[in-house]
Amino acid sequence: MALFISTYRIFRTLAAVLCGLMLVTNFDVYAQQSDGNRSTSKITAAELENAFNNVVRPYLASYCLDCHASEEPEAMLDLSGYQSANDVGQAHQTWAIVLERIEAGEMPPADATQPRDEEQAAVIDWIRDTREFEALRNAGDPGTVLVRRLSNAETNYTIRDLTGVDIRPTDSFPVDAANEAGFDNTGESLTMSPALLNKYLAGARQVVEHLMLLPEGFVFAPHPVVTDTDRDKYCVKRIVDFYQRQPVNLTDYFFAAWQYECQVRSADAAQDSLDEVARGHQISPKYLRSVWELLTDDENAFGPVAKLQAMWPARVDMQTDAARAQCATMHDYVMSVRPQLSPPIDKSGIKEIHTGSQTLVLWRNRQRAANRRAFDPSILEETAKVGDESIPMDPQQRAAYMAAVARFCDVIPDEFFVSERGRDYVDEDNKQQGEKGRLLSAGFHSMMGYFRDDGPLYDLVLDAKQQHEIDTLWQQLDFVTSAPMRQYEGFLWFERTDSGYMRDAIFDFARPEDQQAQSAAMIEKLAEVYVQKARENGGEGAAVEAVEQYFRDINTQIRWVEKARHDAQRSHLQAAIDFAERAYRRPLTALERADIEEFYQALRKIVSHEEAIQDVIVSVLMSPHFCYRVDMAPASEPLRPLTDFELASRLSYFLWSSMPDAELLAVARAGTLHQPDVLVAQTRRMLQDNRVRGLATEFGGNWLDFRRFDEHNSVDRERFPEFDDELRQAMFEEPIRFLMDLVRRDQSVLSLLEAKHTFVNAPLAKHYSLLELEFDNHDWLRVDDARDVGRGGLLPMSVFMTKNAPGLRTSPVKRGYWVVRRLLGERIPPPPPNVPELPSDESKLGELTLRETLARHREHASCAGCHERIDSIGLVFESYGPVGEVRQFDLGGRPVDATALLPDGRQAVGLDDLRKYLSDERGDEFVENLIRKLLSYALGRGLILSDELLVRDIHSKLTSEGNRFSVIVECIVTSPQFLNKKIAMNGQPK
Amino acid sequence: MTANTQFRNAMRPSRRTVLRGAGVAMALPWLDSLPVWGLEPLVMKPANPFPKRLAVLFMACGVHPKHWWAKGAGADMELSECLQPLEPLKHKLNVIHGLFNKNSTGVGIHPGQTGNILSGASLQKGAELRGGISFDQLLANHLGQDTAQPSMVLGCEQPITGYHETNFSMAYSSHISWQNATSPVPMEVYPALAFDSLFDNRGSRRNQSVLDRVKEHAESLSRQASAGDRAKLDEYLTSVREVEKRIERMRDVQSNAAERASAKGKSLIMMPRPDNGLPEDIREHMRLMCDIVALAFQTDKTRFATLLLCRDISGLFYPFLDVRNAHHSASHNEMSDDWQRVTTYYCSQLAYLASRLDAMPEGDGTVLDNSCLVFVNNMWSGSKHDSSKVPLLTAGGLGDTLQTGRTLDYSADGDENRKLCSFYISLMDRMGLEVDQFGDADTQLARL
Repeated sequence: MALFISTYRIFRTLAAVLCGLMLVTNFDVYAQQSDGNRSTSKITAAELENAFNNVVRPYLASYCLDCHASEEPEAMLDLSGYQSANDVGQAHQTWAIVLERIEAGEMPPADATQPRDEEQAAVIDWIRDTREFEALRNAGDPGTVLVRRLSNAETNYTIRDLTGVDIRPTDSFPVDAANEAGFDNTGESLTMSPALLNKYLAGARQVVEHLMLLPEGFVFAPHPVVTDTDRDKYCVKRIVDFYQRQPVNLTDYFFAAWQYECQVRSADAAQDSLDEVARGHQISPKYLRSVWELLTDDENAFGPVAKLQAMWPARVDMQTDAARAQCATMHDYVMSVRPQLSPPIDKSGIKEIHTGSQTLVLWRNRQRAANRRAFDPSILEETAKVGDESIPMDPQQRAAYMAAVARFCDVIPDEFFVSERGRDYVDEDNKQQGEKGRLLSAGFHSMMGYFRDDGPLYDLVLDAKQQHEIDTLWQQLDFVTSAPMRQYEGFLWFERTDSGYMRDAIFDFARPEDQQAQSAAMIEKLAEVYVQKARENGGEGAAVEAVEQYFRDINTQIRWVEKARHDAQRSHLQAAIDFAERAYRRPLTALERADIEEFYQALRKIVSHEEAIQDVIVSVLMSPHFCYRVDMAPASEPLRPLTDFELASRLSYFLWSSMPDAELLAVARAGTLHQPDVLVAQTRRMLQDNRVRGLATEFGGNWLDFRRFDEHNSVDRERFPEFDDELRQAMFEEPIRFLMDLVRRDQSVLSLLEAKHTFVNAPLAKHYSLLELEFDNHDWLRVDDARDVGRGGLLPMSVFMTKNAPGLRTSPVKRGYWVVRRLLGERIPPPPPNVPELPSDESKLGELTLRETLARHREHASCAGCHERIDSIGLVFESYGPVGEVRQFDLGGRPVDATALLPDGRQAVGLDDLRKYLSDERGDEFVENLIRKLLSYALGRGLILSDELLVRDIHSKLTSEGNRFSVIVECIVTSPQFLNKKIAMNGQPK
Repeated sequence: MTANTQFRNAMRPSRRTVLRGAGVAMALPWLDSLPVWGLEPLVMKPANPFPKRLAVLFMACGVHPKHWWAKGAGADMELSECLQPLEPLKHKLNVIHGLFNKNSTGVGIHPGQTGNILSGASLQKGAELRGGISFDQLLANHLGQDTAQPSMVLGCEQPITGYHETNFSMAYSSHISWQNATSPVPMEVYPALAFDSLFDNRGSRRNQSVLDRVKEHAESLSRQASAGDRAKLDEYLTSVREVEKRIERMRDVQSNAAERASAKGKSLIMMPRPDNGLPEDIREHMRLMCDIVALAFQTDKTRFATLLLCRDISGLFYPFLDVRNAHHSASHNEMSDDWQRVTTYYCSQLAYLASRLDAMPEGDGTVLDNSCLVFVNNMWSGSKHDSSKVPLLTAGGLGDTLQTGRTLDYSADGDENRKLCSFYISLMDRMGLEVDQFGDADTQLARL
């Protein structure tokens, strides 16, 4: 602000001095008056009006309206309609351009009648004064921010944060229009139509296809879960993932136990507890204790226990690496002896019952599961060896030896869990070759069914919380997939067909397609005749008991699912109400809660429980409370502060393009969010969050015009085979990574231009000739000295080079335009019609280089005005080809020339000189443009004159605080514009 | 439509019938469709006054190889014993020999021969399902938008999952219609629910409830709004009302059509809503499902249907044929009289549906003339599990685009020229969907 006024004053003083030397005209009078006034008081409306009539109108008539009036004004700028100073104040954006052109001396054009210097100066002063007057009059005005629907991008992010899965239902919606500032987040540009509403409905239905009701509440799956097979996939994967996360590698335990033992022995006072050691190794403390106790168990130091203890490096001095290797050897030893110690199981059958039938397979599975830690000495009688060690013959020693083996088996199970199972009744080789990937399968012949066998993991490794987690996952499997019902249906089918056991007429009552067959009575009835036949066929003992148990178990499981489904209904409705509250981003009123409940009950008259819950969710997602941002002011208060909940949404859609998270809502609920310190603290927290990607993508993407680059299709992939979808995605990602990093580390915004670093993944590294970098999978790495390969900061990112090149040649015009327009915020009028096109392929330019062609173009006076401002900047990028590749030759084989005469008259060679020029000469423009863009984006409206003061304040604060990005954000979120809501002036309250 | 949206649509389950469909009462007359559609510019296109329909009937585990043949063409066409039920309709029949799916050979028997019967895709073993979209669903995605339901996927036997000894999921044995590579289309096995899905407009009723509800939300917001805000909310409200009106309009069109048909005093054949639950007798079950397909085609509720008469490794019983073994077991004895009776029985289902449609006048012909019924089996021989060629019949002229009364034999044409997927590309093309490539084929079937 101070800066602005001081320059203004110098200017005014100069004007006043000039006046004295010239004829006194209206211009001079105005200049003198306003100069005199300025020193004592503010400019008044009357003065401005007076000067408009005496100074500005004659000027317009003399120098402007010849071209800028009539039906088709030049550059589509019509200056003929302004009748008062107030008219100009209203159209301040247009007049900002007028001011800029006159100041730059571009208008009136050189070939037109030129105004006298003092005429020029007075008009410039007047426009400035008018703007100043308008700006101060309403400084801090929140402006009109209409109710608006969420943009497509915001909807996708919000659905992601609401459901926990990235469904992206709006990807197939028509692209949202952008407002004048280039952002698609304003009420003016975001419209609704019947066709779009239909898409919203389809989108909401798409979301509920992911909805999965659980015994308690519901979740959304990452893929649709409409079919049984989808539901199986989801539930099974979660269980298997849980298993695979568990630390069950014995080497790790032996090694951690070694480290602990070393500490114990060193008698170091500051030693870690066993739990701490376990945590350090990310293994189970509970199981580490068991293993350590086994390895230090002197009473059972026989057989395999003694072997392990002998191998354990704690007994000797050893380096860490060697100890680790030794622990791996212990692991190998376990693997070699443990399998032979598993007790045998009873595999007897019953005549006519298929060996792959559910009854017998489950019996064998149960025996195996029960035997995981058991030991039966009789199995060693034949070989009398454990591994290659003979068992002592002496009865006493033998007893002690067997006790040690039992102890060994108890601590070290033959399996911790079984996550994959082929059929157990075909020979092993066959199974190992073919029957992979049957996750959690029980191993029946052809029939579906799951079997849980994770006792050792559960008892030895998991803590209570993890035990509860895995119990819950298994319950969800049954609940979600109807596994017991489907398994039993398969049983009825199989027993009547592939197995012939139930082909007798006596079994005809039990048919898989009959729902009644699943009832408790029918299961009992079948059990009776099934077992009767088994006995008649000579079945007896454990085998028959196993068959009886099968029917009891399956009945229990089916009944559990039925009851759980019934009992869960209430929790689903409650979850739907909670869902609505989160979706609406504010507490529900009692009426709204009742309303949802009533809607559910009404739906139940026509649809099932699950469908009714789905429809409730669809109605929430379709509701204007969800898909619109409604911060409406009551008519009684034309200007009011936002409520804390409204503020929370405003903040989260600004910083994340998504809904507030739980913490932000909690602060809003506490009613403290509007307190500046709380607001700033939340803002800082949110800027550190990953979701700031929303800001980087939506703000950055629209500001810098790469938002749709992930769909960019103007590259000739035959000429540039390196440009594949992966590279395109990487190019798109680079500025997002860069911006996110800048935001989170709160760097100077000037580093966007000046930085030496950038971020790359493997495809981009290849494109940038960063060949020595190594990547894991989809990693992104920071490259500190990217200048070495011609990168660093926004300017040379290949996304911008590619986006601003028309395929088979570069475009210095587009690239230069991008710099001055997007980065510096200069307004360049559209080119006149009938400008001939340049050839689309630079190999077809003929004798001239692109540079020469453009130079010839600039010889035309009508082109030069703009092109002198952009071409030279664009020419600096000539050493980057059409896909942003660094190059020495253009596609026509000519050496590239990246020299240019910059607008300030200095000679530049390549990007480094351009960077220097931008820093030296245009830094303020860049910063101010960024402030304006970010403010407009944050407020969800175009800027108005009354925002000027805020823009200046932010700028000066930013300069004094190291240009840190957060300064802009914090100034914005604490501004009256951001914190308040103004009712639309023409609002007529009912 | 961009490739991207095509892909996305293909990912969507066809059962989502947003705001389409409209209804008439539970008991619906067999409509004479000509005058009805003649008055419906909404659905009718002048160039092609009658919609083309496709139904696939699936039988599993092979046929009786010895008694499955045809000779000659037209009135002189001679049909084998198993095909006898089709004798009265043979001039509208094609018997096609020698086609196959390459990806269902040499990969292991049963599920691997079935889950891709309509897609030609290569199937993945183990826990994760992966195959390809079936051609009926591709058609439904592209051409199914004008009807109450884009497609109907029916079955007479419950699907099962689990693992076959080949390590293919048994889901492949249960589903011939796939909405995308990883998910089958949920199959309706209850005749009552299949009937309801056509006529009670549950989908549109549910959507209407939702729209009513959100309209109230917007109205109540609008009452508190300033004029500027109200304009934005009105945009939303108007959209909701407009969409609701469209639903109502659809419903009116449908009920007017029904009224006009009955007012003209055409012979009305009533199909009452089937009972809840599954029919005890498989004969009843198959007949009802055929009736529902016929009804859907005649009333243009859908144009694409698949009917899984039995699944692969079927456990269906045929006491009425005096066959004591279940379907799959019986198929292992393919040269038996038992299996001949079973094969003949399945042909009679095709004959039943075809004659139903042939009894419905439409234009100068019948609904059958504007349809193509495809009868396909996953194997030639049940005991050998041989899918090096599959039994294939078509009935109906598909709106004069498919010549009938022919015996076509591709056995000697070489593997490149006898692909089932080429046959599917040809059918899709004739129905108005041009596809360059489908499954393992990129050409149409010659001589069809």
